[in-house]
Amino acid sequence: MKSCAISLAGEQLVLLPQKAIYWPRKKTLVVADVHFGKAASFRRLGVPVPSGTTTQNLTALDELIGLFGAQRIVFLGDFLHAPKTASSSLAAMREWRLRHSGLDLTLVRGNHDLHAGDPPAEMEMQIADEPQVDEPFAFCHHPDVDNDRYVLAGHVHPAYLLARRNESYRLPCFVIGQRRAILPSFGAFTGAFTIAQQVDETIFVIADDTVIAIPTLR
Amino acid sequence: MNDRVTSDKKAVEAVNAWFAARGWKIFKFQRDVWKAALSGQSGLLHAGTGSGKTYAVWLAALLRTMRNPTGGKVKGLRILGITPMRALAADTLRALQIPASDLVPAWQLGARTGDTGSAERARQAKALPQLLITTPESLSLMLSKDDAKALCAALDMVVVDEWHELMGNKRGVQTQLALARLRTWNPQLLVWGLSATLGNLQQSLDALLGAGNGVHKGVLVRGKTDKKIIVDTLIPDNPSRFPWAGHLGMQMLPAVVDEIDRSATTLVFTNTRSQAEIWYQNLLSARPDWAGLIALHHGSLDREVRDWVEQGLKKGLLKAVVCTSSLDLGVDFLPVERVLQIGSPRGVARLMQRAGRSGHAPGRASRVTLVPTHSLELLEAAGAKLAVATRHVEARAVPEKPLDVLVQHLVTVALGGGFLPDALYAEVTTTYAYRNLTLDEWQWALDFVARGGQSLTVYPEYRRVLPDEQGVYRVPDNAIGRRHRMGIGTIVSDASINVKYVSGGRIGSIEESFIARLKKGDHFMFGGRILEFIRVNEMTAYVKRATGSKGAVPRWQGGRMSLSSELAHATLAQLRLASQDSATGPEMRAIKPLLDIQRQWSALPTEDILLVETWQSREGWHLFLYPFAGRAVHAGLASLLAYRIAKNQANTFSIALNDYGFELLAPVEVDWASHFTASEGQGIALFSTNFLLEDIVASLNATELSQRRFREIARIAGLVFQGYPGQPKSTRQLQASSSLFFEVFRKHDAGNLLLNQAQREVLEQELELTRLRATLEEIQKRVISFHPLLRPTPFSFPLMVERFREKLSTEKLSDRIARLVRDLDKAATP
Repeated sequence: MKSCAISLAGEQLVLLPQKAIYWPRKKTLVVADVHFGKAASFRRLGVPVPSGTTTQNLTALDELIGLFGAQRIVFLGDFLHAPKTASSSLAAMREWRLRHSGLDLTLVRGNHDLHAGDPPAEMEMQIADEPQVDEPFAFCHHPDVDNDRYVLAGHVHPAYLLARRNESYRLPCFVIGQRRAILPSFGAFTGAFTIAQQVDETIFVIADDTVIAIPTLR
Repeated sequence: MNDRVTSDKKAVEAVNAWFAARGWKIFKFQRDVWKAALSGQSGLLHAGTGSGKTYAVWLAALLRTMRNPTGGKVKGLRILGITPMRALAADTLRALQIPASDLVPAWQLGARTGDTGSAERARQAKALPQLLITTPESLSLMLSKDDAKALCAALDMVVVDEWHELMGNKRGVQTQLALARLRTWNPQLLVWGLSATLGNLQQSLDALLGAGNGVHKGVLVRGKTDKKIIVDTLIPDNPSRFPWAGHLGMQMLPAVVDEIDRSATTLVFTNTRSQAEIWYQNLLSARPDWAGLIALHHGSLDREVRDWVEQGLKKGLLKAVVCTSSLDLGVDFLPVERVLQIGSPRGVARLMQRAGRSGHAPGRASRVTLVPTHSLELLEAAGAKLAVATRHVEARAVPEKPLDVLVQHLVTVALGGGFLPDALYAEVTTTYAYRNLTLDEWQWALDFVARGGQSLTVYPEYRRVLPDEQGVYRVPDNAIGRRHRMGIGTIVSDASINVKYVSGGRIGSIEESFIARLKKGDHFMFGGRILEFIRVNEMTAYVKRATGSKGAVPRWQGGRMSLSSELAHATLAQLRLASQDSATGPEMRAIKPLLDIQRQWSALPTEDILLVETWQSREGWHLFLYPFAGRAVHAGLASLLAYRIAKNQANTFSIALNDYGFELLAPVEVDWASHFTASEGQGIALFSTNFLLEDIVASLNATELSQRRFREIARIAGLVFQGYPGQPKSTRQLQASSSLFFEVFRKHDAGNLLLNQAQREVLEQELELTRLRATLEEIQKRVISFHPLLRPTPFSFPLMVERFREKLSTEKLSDRIARLVRDLDKAATP
């Protein structure tokens, strides 16, 4: 496994191949677009998606917490996918919360949360609208929020198309710009949107267990 | 009984009189079809080319009504036609209007396809016409209606046009399932198919009539076959000694221009849309005075543009049309005088079909002239000539129980009145495609639509198809029903983007990936014009006419067809004749100097000799093999051999291939000879069919191929909903890509049979595993002729310069990405 440490707004951050960012000084994990309950909402609409993605998401969070001894997780929006989250998903989340009762959880509402509603009170989360400031960062869901601070955001589910000669790979990625960074979507049942690299941005792709920087455009 | 004989006779007399009034002769095969249909038999009418097929079958259907005492005054749908192409529906309808208005004047005739307007639809919703022509998709849509059974209560006969075009794909499977449904409702239903000549006519008949769990008493009727087909070749003045793809191409332009000049109307067939664009441009620059007289026709052009070209052909207004397989089907264009085929025809059936586009006038022969684009295609031309003369036509395989189509059908039937599982299982297994469907597979498909997958899991929130109190499976949710109807069908197109002028006017559609590479101001060639790219907005690329003459040519994805086994064998047979100095004909004479060099420096591959060449260059160690088995098989074979060689000795192979052979190139020395020496009493291990499946799966990135394949399966099975214009907001939360489904299934439902199907389709259809196995068995019987080369031979040269290469390597994904990134870095550093 190879993560990638970078410096943003004077802070050290670690880009993780688990599609999250770790902020060591604040012992904080930053995660975007989990979309809990998405598979179940598909099933309700008659599309047969197998179960297991909720557990997969929670296990992935377990691992990250264990790996770094994180004390706080900030969710950058789209925590729940749709209204009427399946009871099985909610039960699993509640059970997970009990196992990590000391953990600080913050949710910055995204567009799905506005429609789906806030997570139940038992989840004991601090819930706020964007931007949620924690100097020097502004935690947001939408990347284009206007703020003086450096913005960490989700929403886009970015992927990068790496193509050379006969080979091409579409990989989830971090987009690190001058004034804001976009995280890949964390959820196990979330898609990705292919983005184009802008001149002042650095792209970090995730290839299995490794984070790799793509050379900047000149 | 006597009454029946009398009424039959009366009806036939009416038809005789109708033919006589037009001065037309009735052919024997037409009488045969009428007789069989009147006696209650179904069947398949096949003929290579030539006319009279339409009247044979459709008039048989009319006769069955005319003999009734009511004289054809029936209410409701009586005759149903199924056609693969919408355009064909309109044409057939026009052709039938004349006899119908004379013989059954009270009848209404109609078509129902995706093109049918809403007024006509509304009229048909009240009462169907007596004769309706439709597509497989529109038929399934009809079957999804509540009152489908009542609508078809008076149905007496189904006519399936161009059955050879449907039987080999999933649309044909969809048709088989629909026919089974109609037969359940009316066991006396007659089904007649029309087909071109095929190598497996009996199977084709079985698939049409549903020979799943019993015998049908269908008949094969052979149409008029006196049509002569002439195949000849434009021989290049100077077939170069070292041939490679494209090299000869434009060298043949003047000869092609001459041929077009000399003939009234010419169809110029190419194998790809890009090739069509290039030839059209080049013809125009060679003869600017032909502007407006020659046209371009391919599947990515707008329907209106294509219609215009087709009308122009019919009226004899066009001198030439450069086209692709888009003009293979249907619609007879009477004035076509010449047919040219640029490059390899790839198959015998396809060549004959294209030849049949010319010489429709009575007594005229059909003629197709091959235009080789590289010297080795002269060999193929000689082979094709022979194969056509002996009518050695390819078989077309019927897909084996594709579960995605079954899953779609289950929901369709649940909507169209509902089903009882046991009865529907019995019905589905009467089809040829699902004759081997096991109870387990059936149960899986049923669980998939009823419970959302694994039968042991309960998803309380899931509902798509549910049994009611009587145990009849239905779709309880209207929204699900609506979404299903929007998605019925098995044609899955790649994401494509409309191309429009800024000033208005649609030109056609191009794949998204091509457009994505364009920058504002870039020029490209499309629809026979040079266009300047302006911008993309909401799935539409806006362009304007460009000045200048050069532009990139879009490469459309999709089938690079492989050389058929029949044509490959015919070509090898020519090579054997050449090796015995007994080859004849202008093609073989023209290529003789090249073959002589090949023989002098190495040898000729034949049906009995497997030629193996090795060479060492600055690039590394080369191996060339010439099995003549087509690109697809060579792709599998090359990876298999590379894998088996690298198993004992780590290496990275670069692979090049064409229809005749393939090359392995290794940077690390390989003792090639040792791999081609058989040990005592054993065959050569490289060609063993033991562990073939395991080795193939291990040698290819089988997962990646399956994932690509899964796109189509996910759509057909209703996992991926493509949406529709003006869709309600609520469906947006339903959007997920097929690759996402693929991942989730692999992780959480590895036993999902749709995943299984994806891998099977990769092996059977893309790598042609059955043919690969047959090729290995053939190769084992061939004598190996092993030649270390001093210099590249005429056969190896085209492989050596092939730029598109595959790699066989065992690198990890992260290592591969790191390598690509290093490469990018190097390219970016000045």
